[in-house]
Amino acid sequence: MLKIITIYDQIQSGMGTKDDKMLPLGGKNVPIGPSVMMEPFLKQIDAKVVACLYCGTGTYFNDKETVGKKLCDKIQKLHPDIVLCGPAFNYKDYAQMCAEVTESINNSTDVPAFASMSAENAEVISKYKDSIHIVKCPKKGDGGLNNALENMCKVAKLIVTNQNEEAFKAYCF
Amino acid sequence: MNEKNEKNGKFMDKLESKLMPVAKVISSNKYLIAIRDGFLVSMPLLVIGSMFMLVSNFPVQPWIDFLKSTTFHGSSIASYFSNVTNATFSIMAIFAVMGIGYNYAKQEKVSPIFGAASALVSWFILMPFTTSFKPEGAAKAFQVPCVPLDWVGSRGIFIGILCAIFSVKIYKWVEDKGWTIKMPKGVPPTVGQSFASLFPIGMVIVVFFLIRIIFTITPWDNAFDCIYTILQTPLQKVGDTLGAMLGVYLFAHILWFFGIHGTNITDSVFRPILYALSAENLAALQAGQKLPHIINTQFQDLFATYGGAGSTLSLLIAAYFFCKSKRIKELSKMSIVPGIFNINEPVIFGLPIVLNPAIAIPFICVPMVNIIISYVTMAIGLVPICNGVIMPWTTPAIISGFLSSGWQGAVLQAALIALGVLLYYPFIKAIDKQYLKEEAEAENNPKDDDISLDDLTF
Repeated sequence: MLKIITIYDQIQSGMGTKDDKMLPLGGKNVPIGPSVMMEPFLKQIDAKVVACLYCGTGTYFNDKETVGKKLCDKIQKLHPDIVLCGPAFNYKDYAQMCAEVTESINNSTDVPAFASMSAENAEVISKYKDSIHIVKCPKKGDGGLNNALENMCKVAKLIVTNQNEEAFKAYCF
Repeated sequence: MNEKNEKNGKFMDKLESKLMPVAKVISSNKYLIAIRDGFLVSMPLLVIGSMFMLVSNFPVQPWIDFLKSTTFHGSSIASYFSNVTNATFSIMAIFAVMGIGYNYAKQEKVSPIFGAASALVSWFILMPFTTSFKPEGAAKAFQVPCVPLDWVGSRGIFIGILCAIFSVKIYKWVEDKGWTIKMPKGVPPTVGQSFASLFPIGMVIVVFFLIRIIFTITPWDNAFDCIYTILQTPLQKVGDTLGAMLGVYLFAHILWFFGIHGTNITDSVFRPILYALSAENLAALQAGQKLPHIINTQFQDLFATYGGAGSTLSLLIAAYFFCKSKRIKELSKMSIVPGIFNINEPVIFGLPIVLNPAIAIPFICVPMVNIIISYVTMAIGLVPICNGVIMPWTTPAIISGFLSSGWQGAVLQAALIALGVLLYYPFIKAIDKQYLKEEAEAENNPKDDDISLDDLTF
């Protein structure tokens, strides 16, 4: 069974509103937020979300280095098969955090990671799309979330099974 | 069980594929977006105008009498307050027309400020600049030239929407044709822009000048009476029904379930109607008459849901007091305060409600129940109809109910929140039970040794 860890901000984890930026780093060993929405698709790829890590965007941007390192250390220690950062929708700060954390995980651990966000985050996407995989998702409140979550699961499976990038290019920016 | 899940999944896919195109058409429709965003321009003005209205009409008779009988420099204090109401509510259509013209021009990528100007000028060209006035003791009324408050208030809204969109369309058409005066380089941009818009505005004015003349040979004599009679009145009649309100909220909440901002979509169609209905209530309140419409902006904002879409404040109260799993307890603790102010993003995505069939039934049904009970209690006179005072959507329940419908409104809101708790209870308890089981499993499962920490700490 594929073991997945997800990384969320304060909103997706249900721990606060956009004003609760300073939510400290934390985690749950059970699915929360979008991980619950993904359940039917997780079944399809025989996967399980074994932990959800979360962090307020303010906490992250206050001290990127320390928070990023802590997240990477935790991922290395828990050693899932893959890490999903997102869906970040059109939340600008969360999308930035997802891209940066994905890059750090890819560079400093042996666990693969990818991000997911909506096209509105054009700056982040153009800066990072060549160095990390970014799966497309709708902006908050738009249609197509179900489909995006399914695609995230498909991409997870394809990356873990070492498929050629071509196989999941269509789902990414 | 698996078969049942599969069936559910198929049903959801089917529902999504049926609803998605409708939602997409509405949410990407330029006209509807312009109308929705245009109305937002009038919102802050109406909220502040409401505050003044509220102070001068606060439901305590001695206070009202005091304001009416105390004078300052020859005018009663109440009349000073009504100046503000007159400058906001009574001319609300001006803000809406300006806002819609501005936003539609922005979408069409022409100068927004000239879009707003075209909208206003075309609307004013069609407006009958007279009002009937009967001096005391006179046998018949005279037509007096003026900008009639009748038409710049709620009654002019729908013709205003049409003028705003049609005039900007003409403006853009002329600009696209290249029929503009181009100033040489070095001329300041604002000067250049005002010359560039000379022909487009000219065309708008000529076209509406002709429309005005054409309407004089119709039975209505002018476009305002025509649109008010054949479009606005029927739409308001349909909008002011329990069925319409229920239909709109059912659609909005099914969309929410799929992660789509449902009320944002329904608002672009329904809100102009609600605004017009509210304004008529407010005018009646000011004139001391019986309020005509049960369904209006406040009815939707203050009595259909508490704590945001799905009336999730009830869900959070049920979760806070009766759930035991760590996830739900923590979520309800964090979300209950924002919930009181009608912010429910953390619950929508965090619990989650989106794409979660386990909570879909109460999420869709509780607002329906709220609407039906509120409507019936207002229809039989148990609770006063909303007075038209517009409040920010973050105003907490009970306070908002009191300001809009007196103490009966506050009691109704409290009762509906409590009823919602009961309706949500069995569903959130079932999720809680499932979560407790998962949490216990995660704790007792030595296989995922590292992850079986209670709460992951750093």
